[in-house]
Order: sequence, then C-alpha cells, then structure tokens
Amino acid sequence: MKNKMMVFVLGAVTLVLPALAQNAPSPLLLPPQVEKDLAARAANVTEVTLNKNMLGFAAKFMDDKDKDQAAVNQMIQGLDGIYVRDYEFDKEGEYSMDDIEKLRQAIETPEWTPMVRDRERKGAEMTDVMVKMVNGENKGMFILSAEPKELSIVLILGSIHLDQLGELKGLSGLGSLGNVEKDVPGLGNVERDAKSKAEEKAKEAQQKAQEKAKEAQQKAQDAGKGGDQ
Amino acid sequence: MSRHLLIPLACALLCVAIVVPWIAHAAGGGGFDPVVRAIEQRYQVHATRIPFMALASLVANRATHGGVGGVRIVEFEHFDKAVDGEELNRMVEEKLGQGWERMIRETSRHGNEQSLIFARPNGSRMGLFILDLDGNEMDVVEVSVDPDHLKETIGKYDHHAGDDSQESN
Repeated sequence: MKNKMMVFVLGAVTLVLPALAQNAPSPLLLPPQVEKDLAARAANVTEVTLNKNMLGFAAKFMDDKDKDQAAVNQMIQGLDGIYVRDYEFDKEGEYSMDDIEKLRQAIETPEWTPMVRDRERKGAEMTDVMVKMVNGENKGMFILSAEPKELSIVLILGSIHLDQLGELKGLSGLGSLGNVEKDVPGLGNVERDAKSKAEEKAKEAQQKAQEKAKEAQQKAQDAGKGGDQ
Repeated sequence: MSRHLLIPLACALLCVAIVVPWIAHAAGGGGFDPVVRAIEQRYQVHATRIPFMALASLVANRATHGGVGGVRIVEFEHFDKAVDGEELNRMVEEKLGQGWERMIRETSRHGNEQSLIFARPNGSRMGLFILDLDGNEMDVVEVSVDPDHLKETIGKYDHHAGDDSQESN
C-alpha cells in the first residue's frame, strides 16, 4: 500500500512539476498581461532576454588577453540576466499612464530603491531608474523610459557597477543591445541630463563671473573719474 | 535463454519501447522539422531545402573543429502572407519544445518583419534557432555551436587577418 502511494506521489510530482515550471513568473518581474497588451498595441516590439546561461555563452567569445574584453567578461560573470523590452507606437496615446503605473508598481518592492525620477513639465516624457540594493551592494538596475511614442524597459540583474555599464556596448553577441549608454533611453537621458545641467551651471557661473568683472571694472572706472574730479 | 527469462525481458523491452518515446515527447520532442511543418501548414507556403546541407554541415563541423555543427537551413520564398508576431512566436515556442529559451524577438507590424532567436544550452554546446522574416522571404536556421572551439577558429582567422594587414602596411 505504501509503495503504491509512493508511486502515485512520484507520478503526480513528475506530471505537475513541468507544468509549474512553465507557469513560473517571468524574470522581468512585469505583469505578463501588461506586457502582452503593450506588445499588441505597439507597431514595433523588441525583446531581449539574456539569462545567466546566455550571458555565459556570450562571455565565452571574449578574449581574456584583451584588457577591455576581460573587464567585460568579469562584469558578465556577476550578472544574472539582462532583459530589454522596447515598444514603438505609431501614434501618441497608445499606452496610458495606468500602464506605466502598473509597470512601476510591479517593481516597487522594498528592495528596489528609486534613484532617478525625471519628469517633463508636460508629462510627455519620463524616466525612472531604480536600483536593487542587497546588503549595501547593487544587485540590479531597472530603467523605465517613456516617450510619447516609445516605451522602453531595461532590467539588469546581478552585481553591477554603474560606471561599468557602458562596457556592455563591446559585448560580442549582444549586438541588439547596442550601445547601452546611448540606446538605453533611461540611462542615456540620465547621463545627458546630468551633463546638460552641469554645462548650464558652468555657463551661468561664467556669465556671472563676467558680469561681476564688468561691474568691478565699471566701479574702478567710476572711482578713477571721481578721484580725477 | 530459458523461457522464464525471455518473457520478463520482452516485457521490459516493450515498456522501454513505449516509455522512451513518451518521455522524449514530454521532454520536448519538437525541433526544427516540426516548426518548419507548422509554418508550411499555417501559412500555406513551401519550404525550400538546400541540397547537400548535411554534407555542408559536416564540412563546417570539420573546418571549425566541432565549433559549428548540426546546421540546418530552409527558406520560404514568396512569403506574402500577413504574419501576426504573437501567433508566430507562440507557434515556434510550442513546436520547438522544452529546453529552448527565447533570446531575442523583434516584430514589426509594418513590412512583415519578424525575427526570433532561441537558444538551448546543451552541455558545452549551445543550440541556436533563428527565424527571420524580411518582406517576402523567411529563413529558418538551426545550428549548434561550441563557443570554445569556435572561438579558437575565429581567433586563428583573426590572427591571419592581423598578419595580412601588417604585411600590407
């Protein structure tokens, strides 16, 4: 009787496990229905799913003798996955703020910390960057970038240093990721914003310095005139 | 062989004959051919197979010291049917069977452009399944790659290319 029960349990487990594995949640952490809806509405969809196995495969093509490639290889070893979803729409308004909110809510768990939240005044463009912190270490990055006719989501899981992120552009076999610094809209925006803000500040400071110098010059001239009189 | 041994042995062989194909099917008995057949049936198109592909695959395998093997290619010409990206993806996923993971999917509603790349790790090798529809032509490719051996071969040619460029300078 015991043996029959054992056989029955083993049989049930054998049948049920593959079914459970197939229904395992997506590593992208996004609601599958939202993903499906967005894909159905988009004119162009790009999905890149690189788990640890795939990254390991790509890493094998790295030349360890090459300093840059060795660095990229080292970085890949620490990654658990790279997931990209890019939806391009024919016209504006094909996705709603509700969709964005659902995407954001899916990732807003205590271990994810918002790093950048960038909004345009009219609300047409927005960028969210979140990092996953575990014991003070960066274990992931989530970028959500919304433009009127494009929505991009990037999720990088694993140990990653922000300054190394650009190294991915040289990763052989990940051509579709392209230049991460440039093509990952969120990150690109963050960097561009930071750069343009720095330039603006520098210009303002320069203008102020010039004005102050002029004022000082004027004052000196006035003082000279006063002394002559 | 005595009769009392023959009967259990025959039963065991029969069980194996029944169970093994069932396990193979459950574990993902799909693959390249089922995908091609499904495309032919769904879109009413005919696959053009490249003659002597097996021989070419063997040569590629030898030339790359096992780096590339199991190359299979079919082409669908005059593919003028509209393709729903989601449906195509679902069909390919289903027919490829278990073990294959989608790596890249690009789909365009305009211009009938679809790209699907699936990968399946298999020990030291990686199986790659690529489907590309561009306008009126669809190509389906399957290849098994051993990154270590392929890297060696590529490195060899890189080395020669480097020598050539030095000589030309």
